[in-house]
Amino acid sequence: MKRSRERAAAELFAALYPRLAGWCRRLVDDDETAHEIASEAFTRLWARWTAVAEPRGFLYVTAANLVRDHWRKTERERNAVRRATVEAAVSPPAEPADPSVRLLVQSLPERLRVPILLHYYADMPIREVSVLTGRREGTVKADLHAARELLRAHLRRSLDHTR
Amino acid sequence: MTTPADDFDDGPDLAPDDPLAVILRPPSDYLGPPAGRYEQIRRGAARRRLLRTAAGVGAACAVVVAVALVLPLRPASETPVSPTVPLAPPPVSGPSTSPTPPATPTPATPGPTEGARTPVPEASTPAGPTGTAAPRPSPSDSASTAPTAVPAAPSAEPSTPPLTPSEATTSR
Repeated sequence: MKRSRERAAAELFAALYPRLAGWCRRLVDDDETAHEIASEAFTRLWARWTAVAEPRGFLYVTAANLVRDHWRKTERERNAVRRATVEAAVSPPAEPADPSVRLLVQSLPERLRVPILLHYYADMPIREVSVLTGRREGTVKADLHAARELLRAHLRRSLDHTR
Repeated sequence: MTTPADDFDDGPDLAPDDPLAVILRPPSDYLGPPAGRYEQIRRGAARRRLLRTAAGVGAACAVVVAVALVLPLRPASETPVSPTVPLAPPPVSGPSTSPTPPATPTPATPGPTEGARTPVPEASTPAGPTGTAAPRPSPSDSASTAPTAVPAAPSAEPSTPPLTPSEATTSR
């Protein structure tokens, strides 16, 4: 019993960790932070292994929340540094000219962010997103549609700004 | 008009020329775990599980202890009253004194015979020695008991009053 559970955990780790860590790296642009977030998601999963019915969804939702926390933390730190330094006019944080995925996702309200993260980045079908978020499939589709419209508007504005 | 739900037949469908397709592309990069990461995560999860179990057990024990401490307090407020009442009579209880509730007359009852020997009861009840029948009425000052003592007295005294008139007649 225990051995089979151990084997299942090892298989899950081998199948999902590289993908989850890669997804995290895409969002945080830092290998070490990506590993930390992926590891923390797995730790939380295995700490309540018996209570989780859908491990993959749990991992991605947990990782999405951790990524969001990481963004908030870095944003706070950045603001603090900006306030502390006298020469505030020094270049704004090294943001790419193109709107990065991170900033686009960050600009979304929370209700739309999780479906976007799960559906597009975690590559989960709408049915699974619906189960994970507790929303109906039609609601998930509507949320994704609204999120895409917001992203398009954001992208258009950003492109106009660069011209 | 395109409704939001129509956008999805089987999943995300973005036009190839849609700028969002570049942004929302599915992730293709993988990041392999560093060596020993699996064991490290398993150990951390086991430690966390243990901590949570310990916290649960601790909370349950605290609740049990709190209940055990609180429960005896309620009967404790009732018990002190009940023992004091029955404990009081036994030390005073004497077979001879049971008819006379007051404690002071009790020693006085045998006292009359030994009245001279124990001065203490005499000092407390100076009226007692004056009349031999006095100890009985003196503890009960109430008027209700007085009549009971009066009929008792006539039993002894009737001999005297009749004697007095008879003597008077005889003397005449």
